[in-house]
Amino acid sequence: MNEKVISALREIYGERLKTSLEDRICYSYDATGKEFLPDAVAYPLNAEEVRRTVLLANEHRFPVVPRGAGSGFSGGSLPVRGGVVLSTERMDRILSIDTENLVAVLEPGVVTETLKEEVKKKGLFYPPDPASLKFCTIGGNLAECAGGMCAVKYGVTRDYVLGLEAVLGTGELVRTGVSTVKGVVGYDLTRMLVGSEGTLGIITRATLRLVPLPEFAATLLAFFPTNEMGAKAVAGIVEERITPCAMELMDRTAVDCVRQSADLSLPDETGCALLIEVDGQEATVAREADRVEGACRRFGALEVRRAADAAGRDKLWALRRSISPAVRKVNPVKINEDIVVPRSRLAEMFAFLSGLAERKSLKIVNFGHAGDGNIHVNVMISGKDEDERRRAEEAVEEVFRKTVELGGTISGEHGIGIAKAPYMEMEVGPLGVSVMKRLKSCFDPNGILNPGKIFLEEAAVRR
Amino acid sequence: MRDDELRALTGACAKCGTCRTVCTLYPERKAEISVARGKIALIDAALEGRDGNLDAVQEALSDCLLCGRCERACPNQVLVEEIIMKGRADVARKIGIPAWKQALFGKVMPSPRGRDAARAAASAAQKLFAKKIPTGSGLHYRFPEAFGLAGRTVPKLPARGFVESLKPGEAATGDVMLFVGCVFDHVFPKVGRASYESMKASGRSIAVFRDAACCGLPAMVSGDRESALRCAEENVRRLRAAEAEKIVFPCGSCLLMFKRNFFSLIPEKHPLREDAVRVSDRCEDYASFILETGVVSRLPDPPEGEKVGEIGYHDPCHLSGTLGKGAEAREVLEGAVGSGFAEMKGADLCCGYGGTFNVRDYDTSARIGENKVSLAAGGGTRRISTACSGCILQLRDMAARTDPSLEIVHIAELVAGALSRR
Repeated sequence: MNEKVISALREIYGERLKTSLEDRICYSYDATGKEFLPDAVAYPLNAEEVRRTVLLANEHRFPVVPRGAGSGFSGGSLPVRGGVVLSTERMDRILSIDTENLVAVLEPGVVTETLKEEVKKKGLFYPPDPASLKFCTIGGNLAECAGGMCAVKYGVTRDYVLGLEAVLGTGELVRTGVSTVKGVVGYDLTRMLVGSEGTLGIITRATLRLVPLPEFAATLLAFFPTNEMGAKAVAGIVEERITPCAMELMDRTAVDCVRQSADLSLPDETGCALLIEVDGQEATVAREADRVEGACRRFGALEVRRAADAAGRDKLWALRRSISPAVRKVNPVKINEDIVVPRSRLAEMFAFLSGLAERKSLKIVNFGHAGDGNIHVNVMISGKDEDERRRAEEAVEEVFRKTVELGGTISGEHGIGIAKAPYMEMEVGPLGVSVMKRLKSCFDPNGILNPGKIFLEEAAVRR
Repeated sequence: MRDDELRALTGACAKCGTCRTVCTLYPERKAEISVARGKIALIDAALEGRDGNLDAVQEALSDCLLCGRCERACPNQVLVEEIIMKGRADVARKIGIPAWKQALFGKVMPSPRGRDAARAAASAAQKLFAKKIPTGSGLHYRFPEAFGLAGRTVPKLPARGFVESLKPGEAATGDVMLFVGCVFDHVFPKVGRASYESMKASGRSIAVFRDAACCGLPAMVSGDRESALRCAEENVRRLRAAEAEKIVFPCGSCLLMFKRNFFSLIPEKHPLREDAVRVSDRCEDYASFILETGVVSRLPDPPEGEKVGEIGYHDPCHLSGTLGKGAEAREVLEGAVGSGFAEMKGADLCCGYGGTFNVRDYDTSARIGENKVSLAAGGGTRRISTACSGCILQLRDMAARTDPSLEIVHIAELVAGALSRR
């Protein structure tokens, strides 16, 4: 980017444009651990500034990359082709919480937890709960269609978006969708933008749907001797016609990681742990918890622990929360995939993964949101051994093939970004990719927005 | 710049972003460069030679309060405080340390005599230039804007320090050693005195560590590891000779130095390592000592129903956070003031002092601090007690700026006050 462009950007942003190497380094990474240096960083405060930036980018042909908190796992916010990173962290106002229509209007930089806390004060609930909810932003959640633990019952980000305001790749400001529950006027541009990873438009405002806050919850933690029994219990609970708000499964590899944690004291024969939470009205919660417990025991649980008060529930959740830090101790580099298979195929997938780890002599730790079939497959490598890295890449490809074969999807909630671009066609086929590209050129004819993402030939593939 | 040890420490950061949630400075800056993840990326770039502008890197690393909240929240247990301090030192080695800091850390801080002289000089200067304002915690001076001190207030310096006020031979030997710390000796000798008097109620013989060097923390956080090491070595040698059973610290930041930062300065192969470990093992916070020795159980019952819930406790980041000693201080308070104590609003928020941070960016430091005291006062707290010299300096200044009737005290003053009711 030349001086002329920089000074034009400075006219828009003043002091909020940063070009020093130090400032650019701080916007060169995300949670993938990969780094790409942008040419500049800007902190827009409103849609107009974003619009002017994209117009300028069309004139001078430089990339514009939107970024929330940089907490993504697929590289969605990485400026792989340089250009300007637009950090939305200062567009962080909640504009309204409408308790009559159960709708919130907000800017993209609002931190997910902040929204959840603010609506909670009014007895309302914004369900999506990605693991990074304390720091990730709604803008990033929308762009990647973030999920979380409670997706099994409440769905994902896309299920709570009514309307959006976004700057398209042309620099036009578009308002999509509605602020009502229903609306079928033309194509669903709102859902087009959700999960588009900042390649179609930069979201500058969102109208989100809220639901009443569930009043009570109960948490159960069940230990099983094998993955298969745990996975069958998941199916068993669903057959009870209960939809828990969380159903987290930790397979033997994950249980082994946390077995040493002093205060958890698992039964010795534990090979799989299943954490279940049910929420709703007090009486219903108690009844459902009984039936969940019964199902767990029927499917061979070694022990079932249960808590209904906040402190007790927190204690049970400690096991699940302790996995991520513990996994790092297996090996320092984590290749983190987030495949989804139909719930009924979970046992099969776990068996495949354990065989794969043995075949490729790799450490693979699996846990995740079994309730919706979403498994986090973590291939843990030293990062120093080239052969190990190659085996890990082969293993990841095999996991994706198996996933598609079982009728699943290769990314449940992290998105494609640069990390999964090489595998996309495996799932959506050549025609699927082609249609997506045609859509992209319609929203962003000059390829200004977040170039190098999603599509393979443009992707900078670098593990 | 090359530092394999530092590289190993930064390598643990997964760039997840958790540090953004707890950073004291992030809400002020709203920029990634203010949080641990950004600073670690900058250090890595400097270590790899990707960033040669070390002045700018140092500027970024200095923009941190070292409150340690990110470190405690980090899912990967990245040692952020150590990384920032080491990073500052590595960069300082390349670009140098300002002359005034060199003189202060290298000459004044390690020597008890040097500090006496410095206080006397500062005390005289204060009377000449600054404007007096009475506050709930005693007289403060407000410096005129022209001095570049931007309306900052500082406590009136006493004519004599606490150690100087001891009679010859008084508290010269004992089983338990009191490490007063520079601020509680020279700036607030009342705290030094209250610590000493209340510790005597334990029935143990108390010695005051007279020829203490500065704990070294101001030098360490400024990247002057050589001066910090000199302070640490002096203290270890002198304490080794004294052979006290326990060494008690009214200041949490001094204690942090002895409990943790020592081992960064005095690593495994250092000749003083064994002595440093032995000294460190015997160090503890004031509240723990008061509890263990039963002083609290010997305090007279606090007067009933007087000023219920008006006394709060401010958690010093180093003491309550890093060293995990928040519960002990509260137990002491409950013993000393009974129902006078209540959790205050925002008790665990950083006061915004950050030592050298307060000097380099007083405006930001003051915004964070004013927010802290206003929150507490808004919740009904009239007296904020704490146990760290940096926090007391900051909170007194903030009270003087926002609500001069708000009192800032050390918990030892409350314990000594309760004892005097006997």
